[in-house]
Amino acid sequence: MRTLRALAVRIRGIFSPRRRADDFDAELESHVALHTDAGMRNGLDATEARRQALIRLGGAEQTRQAHRERRTLPRLESFLRDVVYGLRTLAKHRGATAMAILSIGLGIGANATIFSMVSRFVLRPAPVGDPATLLALHTTYDKGQCCNNFPQPVYEDIRDQASSFSGVAAYDEIIPASIGGNGEPARVWGQAVTANFFSVMQLPMVLGRGFATGEEDAPDVVLSARLWQSRFNSDPSIVGKTVTLSSRVYTVVGIAPASFHSADQILDPSFWVPLGDAPQFDVNLSHPQSRNFHWLAVVARLKPGATRMQATAELNGLAQRFAQTHPETDKDGGFVFEQAGSLPPHDRDTALLFLTALSVVVLLVLSIAGANVANLLYAQAVSRQRDMAVRLALGATRGRLQRQLLIESTLLGIGGGVVGVVLSLWATDALSTVHIPAPVPLNLAVHIDWRVLVYSFALSVLCGLLLGLAPAWAAARPQLANALKGEDPLQRVGRSFSLRNLLVVAQVAMSVILLSITGLFLRSLQSAATIDIGFRTENLLLLSMDPRTENYSTQRTISFLEGLEQRAQSLPGVASAVLTDVAPLSGGNRSDGFSVVGGDNKDASAQAELYMTTPGYFQTLGIPMIAGHDFTSESPNGPRVAIVNRVFADRAFGGRSPIGQQVNGGGMTYLIIGVVGNMKARTLGEENRAVLYRSLPQAVADDPSLRGYTLVVKSAGNPNALLPAVRNLARTLDPAMAIYDEETMEEHVRTAYFLPRVAATLFGAFGGIGLVLTVVGLYGVINYSVSRRVREIGIRMALGAKRGSVERLVLRQGLVLTLIAIALGWPAAWMLAKMASSFLYGIQPHDALTFSLVPPFLALVALAACYFPARRAASVEPMQALRTE
Amino acid sequence: MGDKTDVWQGTLALMVLRTLESMGPQHGYGLARRIEQTSGDLLQLNYGTLYPALLKLEQEGYIKSSWGTSENNRKAKFYDLTKAGHRQLKRAAAEWEQTTAILARFMTPAEEA
Repeated sequence: MRTLRALAVRIRGIFSPRRRADDFDAELESHVALHTDAGMRNGLDATEARRQALIRLGGAEQTRQAHRERRTLPRLESFLRDVVYGLRTLAKHRGATAMAILSIGLGIGANATIFSMVSRFVLRPAPVGDPATLLALHTTYDKGQCCNNFPQPVYEDIRDQASSFSGVAAYDEIIPASIGGNGEPARVWGQAVTANFFSVMQLPMVLGRGFATGEEDAPDVVLSARLWQSRFNSDPSIVGKTVTLSSRVYTVVGIAPASFHSADQILDPSFWVPLGDAPQFDVNLSHPQSRNFHWLAVVARLKPGATRMQATAELNGLAQRFAQTHPETDKDGGFVFEQAGSLPPHDRDTALLFLTALSVVVLLVLSIAGANVANLLYAQAVSRQRDMAVRLALGATRGRLQRQLLIESTLLGIGGGVVGVVLSLWATDALSTVHIPAPVPLNLAVHIDWRVLVYSFALSVLCGLLLGLAPAWAAARPQLANALKGEDPLQRVGRSFSLRNLLVVAQVAMSVILLSITGLFLRSLQSAATIDIGFRTENLLLLSMDPRTENYSTQRTISFLEGLEQRAQSLPGVASAVLTDVAPLSGGNRSDGFSVVGGDNKDASAQAELYMTTPGYFQTLGIPMIAGHDFTSESPNGPRVAIVNRVFADRAFGGRSPIGQQVNGGGMTYLIIGVVGNMKARTLGEENRAVLYRSLPQAVADDPSLRGYTLVVKSAGNPNALLPAVRNLARTLDPAMAIYDEETMEEHVRTAYFLPRVAATLFGAFGGIGLVLTVVGLYGVINYSVSRRVREIGIRMALGAKRGSVERLVLRQGLVLTLIAIALGWPAAWMLAKMASSFLYGIQPHDALTFSLVPPFLALVALAACYFPARRAASVEPMQALRTE
Repeated sequence: MGDKTDVWQGTLALMVLRTLESMGPQHGYGLARRIEQTSGDLLQLNYGTLYPALLKLEQEGYIKSSWGTSENNRKAKFYDLTKAGHRQLKRAAAEWEQTTAILARFMTPAEEA
C-alpha cells in the first residue's frame, strides 16, 4: 500500500517538475553550506571546505539526477514526452495525418458498425435480472427436430415437475389489441404472460409491480415504458388508472423498464396481460388446453446452484416420462434450451453466417485502409530518415526511435478509432430506421454499446501498432552514411520488389474480393427489381382494421367489412375496393397442408399459403384469371369454395383441370372454382408458392385472421389523396376501431425489397470505400516511385527516351502490380462468393457478369490512378532533373 | 541498479528512521553525520545517496519534511518521523533483529557435531 502511495506521489511529481526541482536545489545548497561550515570549523579555508563537501556528496549533478529519478516516474515521463512529440509531428504533417486518420476511421467505422450488430444480436444478454440463469425453453419433435413452442399442459407439467428451476413462466408471444382513451384508437401489440412472468424475469419495474399469484385472469395490464410515454405522457400516477384494450377495461398495475422489450430481444410488445386473458385477444386460440397446440413460449430461471447440465438431464428425463404417459402427442418429443435473449434457434445459423460474411468484408475494408496508411507512413519514414540518422548519430538508441514511431502510429490508430466510432454512430442510427417487412412489431435497433467501444478501441490500437511496424523497422536500419548525405537511406542494391509494392498488391487484391462481392449484391438488387411479383402495385391504397379486437361477433365482423367495402366503392375517385386479410409480400401469413379429395392414394398433399378475398380482388390487383371464375356473393354458411393459383393447380392436379375438384385442408373441404396466376406470397426471393384463396365471408366464420383485414382501394389518380376520405369512412362506421398499416401498395412492396436493398447498400458502401482507398493507395505508390526516379527518368530522356515511352514505363509498373493483384484476388473472391449465395436474389454466387467485369474494371481504374504520376514523369525536364544533384 | 543497492537502501532507511526516532527532527546533513557517528565512523556514507532514500521514505509517508533554521542559523530542510514512520520502525527493527539472529546462528562457530 505504501508503494501505491509513493507511486501516486511520483505521478503527481510529473506535473509540477519545476517547483520540486527548485525545492531540492535549495536543499542541496543548504546541505553544502552546512557541510562547508563544518569544514571551516575544522580549520579548512572556505574553498577547500566547499570542495570537500561536494566530493562527499558524490557530485551535485549526480545527486540531482538520482533525486529526479526518484521524484517522478522517468519511464512514464519519457513516454508522455514521446506522446507530446508524436502529436506535434502529426500536427506538422497535417495533410498526411488527416488522410491516415480518415482512412483508418472509415475502416474502423465499418467494423464498429458491424460489430455493433454482433454485439446486439449475439453478445448482448437479455435485459433481465441475472441473464445468465434465465433460459428459453423449446420443444423438439421427431427425435430432436428443432423447435417449437409449448402446449399449455406440457408447460404446466414442466413447471410443476422440474426441480432445476426456481420458476418457469410462459407467454403468448404476440397478441393484437386496440387501445382507446386519449386520442384516436390505435393498434398495439402485446403479450399474454403467466402471473409469475415478471418475477421470473426479475425486472425492476419503473412504476407499480408485475402480476401477482392469483392474477391469472385478472383485468390487469403492465404497460411498456414506450407506450406509457407516447400515449400517457409518462403520467406518474398511472398505476391504478384504467385503460381500454380492445373495448375491455384494464387496470394498470405497473410500467416495465424502458430497456426491456421482450425476453427474446426481437419482439417489441407494448403491453402485457395475464395469460388467462389471451383468448380475448388471440382469435385463433382454438384449443389452448390441447396437448397438441403449441402456442406458448417458455422461459425458466435456473435454481441457485443448479447447472445447465443438470437441467438438460432433468428435461431429457421428463421428455421420456411424457412420451410414456402421453404417447399420442409426446412420443419422439424432447426439450432444448439456450440462454434467453440469444438468437432464436431456427434463424441462428443464417444470422451468424450473415454477420460473419459482413465481418470478413469490413475487415477487408480495414486491411485496405491499413495498407494505405502503412504506405503513407512508410513514405514518411523514408523522408524522415535524415532526421532519424541525425538522432542516431547523436546517441539515441534505435529502440527509442522505434518506440517514438510506434507511438505516433498508435496515436493515428486511436484518432482513426474516434473518427470511426463517430461514423458508426451515424451508420447504426441509419440502420435502425430501416423499415422491416414483418407482420408483428420487432425491435432490431442497433446502437453503439460499451462492447463496441472496447472492440473499436482495441482494434484501433492494434491497427496503429501494426501500421507502425514498417516505419519502425525502417527507422532501425538507416544506412547512416547514405542518410546523412541526403541519399535514399533504405536503398539496397538489387531489390526490385519493395515492401510498398507488396502492400499495394495486397490492397488491390483485397479490392478485387471486395468489389466482386459488392458486384454480386448490386446484381442481386438489380435482379430483385426485375422479379415478377405477379400483381400490379400502381394506384392501390391499403388500410387495415381488426374488428375482432373490438369484440365483434363473426356476423358483425362480416357486415362491418361488407359495409366498409360497399361504401368505399362509392367514394368519388375510387375505381374499385376489395378486402383481403393480409396483403401479399407481408413476410408470411397462414399456410396449411391440402390434399385432393378422391385423389390417388399417393400422398398428394401440398403446403399452400392461405388468403381471403372478396369478389374483384384479382382484377384490382391485376392477377390474371386463368380458368374458372372469381368469387360471387357466397353465403358465409354455404358450401366452401376456393380459387387456387397455378403452382397449386400444377402441384395438386398435374395436367388436369382443377375446376370442380375438391381439396381438403385445415379441417375443411373446398370446391375449386377458379385458377389464377402466381404471385410472390411471403417474400420477394421465394420460389412461387402454392396459394389457395378463400372467400372472405366464409373464412371469417371458420378461421378469423389474427392480423385483421385489409381494405384495398384502387384509385383513378394518386392513391394517397383518397386516404382522408377512406379513413373518415371507417371512422363513421365505428369511431373506436383502430386503423393501422395505411400505405400505398408501392410503399408496401418497397419494404419487401428490404433484404436485397440493405445488403446492396451495405456492401455497396463498403465496396466503394475500399475502391477509393485502393485508388488513393495505388496513386500514392506510383507517384512516390516517380518522385524517387526523377533522376533516372532525366537520364533516360537525356539519352533520347521519348515522353511516350516514359509514360508507358510508369503505367507498366502500375499495371504489373495490378495484374499480379488481380491474379491473387480473383480466385479468393471466387471461393468467398459461395458464402453469399443464400443472400442473393435470382443470381448465382459465381455470377458470370460480376466475375468477368470486376478485373477489367479494376485494371482500368488502376490505369487511371497511374495516369497522373505517369504524366508527371513524362513532363520531367531532363536538364532540371539532373541539376537537382 | 543491482540488488546490493536495494539492500543498502533498505538498511539505510532503517538507520534514518532510527536516528530520527532517537534524535528528533534532523536536516539531511545532520542525519548523515549522525549516522556516521553512530556507526563509529565505520560507515563512509556517500551523502548524495541519502537524499533519494529520504525522498522515498517521504513518498511512502514514513517521514515528513519542512523548512526550518539550523543551529547556526542556516535555512535547512528538517525531516521528522510520522506516526506511520514510528510503526514502520518497530516493524522493520523487529524484522532486522530476527534476520541478524538467524544469521548469527550460522556465523557462530559450531560447538558440537
